[in-house]
Amino acid sequence: MNNSQLLRYSRHLMLPEVDYAGQERLLAGRVLIIGLGGLGSASAMYLAAAGVGHLVLVDDDVVEISNLQRQIVHGTGSIGQTKVASAAARLGDLNPEVQLTALSERLDPEALLREVRAADVVVDGSDNFSTRFAVNAACVEARTPLVSGAAIRLEGQLAVLRPDLGNRPCYACLYPPADGADARLSCSESGVLAPVVGVVGSLQAVEVIRLLTGFSEADGRRLTLWSALDGVWQTVKFDRDPACPVCGSGLSVSG
Amino acid sequence: MNRAVAPRARPLPGFFVSRKAYGHIPMQIRIKLYASLSKLLPEGVKPHEGFLLDIDDAMTPNQLIDLLKIPRPMAHLILCNGTYIKPADRDSAVFEPDDVFAVWPPVAGG
Repeated sequence: MNNSQLLRYSRHLMLPEVDYAGQERLLAGRVLIIGLGGLGSASAMYLAAAGVGHLVLVDDDVVEISNLQRQIVHGTGSIGQTKVASAAARLGDLNPEVQLTALSERLDPEALLREVRAADVVVDGSDNFSTRFAVNAACVEARTPLVSGAAIRLEGQLAVLRPDLGNRPCYACLYPPADGADARLSCSESGVLAPVVGVVGSLQAVEVIRLLTGFSEADGRRLTLWSALDGVWQTVKFDRDPACPVCGSGLSVSG
Repeated sequence: MNRAVAPRARPLPGFFVSRKAYGHIPMQIRIKLYASLSKLLPEGVKPHEGFLLDIDDAMTPNQLIDLLKIPRPMAHLILCNGTYIKPADRDSAVFEPDDVFAVWPPVAGG
């Protein structure tokens, strides 16, 4: 680290959990961020500010005025731009040392797998289940840790999935791909309180930093649920589904 | 659905009877429905408080989901006192008096 980096990251260097070695690991880290909406806004800004070396941003959407209530990486002047270009401009200003790759497309399975393999950690902040299933399948295939966040209305969810460790559940163990796809809702249909996505996206950034620096280990079996209605946080444990079509045998187990 | 709202918790029975031996013991549990499911709460119920429901101990989570008129695919996460109930366990009687039963729909918003 040079002098300006020592100053920029000084508040990390003071923490024994990060320290010089941890900051070096952040600087060497490569994180794939799927979705530059509300969750991706918060996680990308914290990860860029924290000095993660390379952020790969993927989103095929453009910035609309209805996004700006919660998608804080974008500004009013960015309306009509691609979300990845808008985010890259803001993140580059926040921390010019971070290498940014902006992909304004929906990646096909091979390109997605390539990016997932190249990443140390994947952050899923997408707004639909089909993307989430594709990202999970690629993470299972490549054994890349996945930090999955979701938010709707006044509620948020966070799960750290560890296909890099043995016998851990994947996203599809929790959300089976075939299960009630028509009944599912997104923010655009149901509404969401602005800072709820910021809370969940910030938690995702924390989990990425935890994975990169290794100051403690996420065991990959926990789902955190938070409701801004009652202010209650709950963490529930879930296990691998042996019949999971993605990480298991795909065969249902009876009895 | 108004029938389902009990104004106050009744005193609990002062004894515990094995479910296997007797079955069908009346009890009250608290129901909490999150996110888009809160629209299925009885009128006047505050979502963060939930409501008390009279059931008997033979009732299963899936039967309760049907009683609450929650479409099964929308009952994604079912928690009893903060413990996740796997889909495979939702046809077994699991409830004890004063349990808190919480249901979350699938959430994918970003």
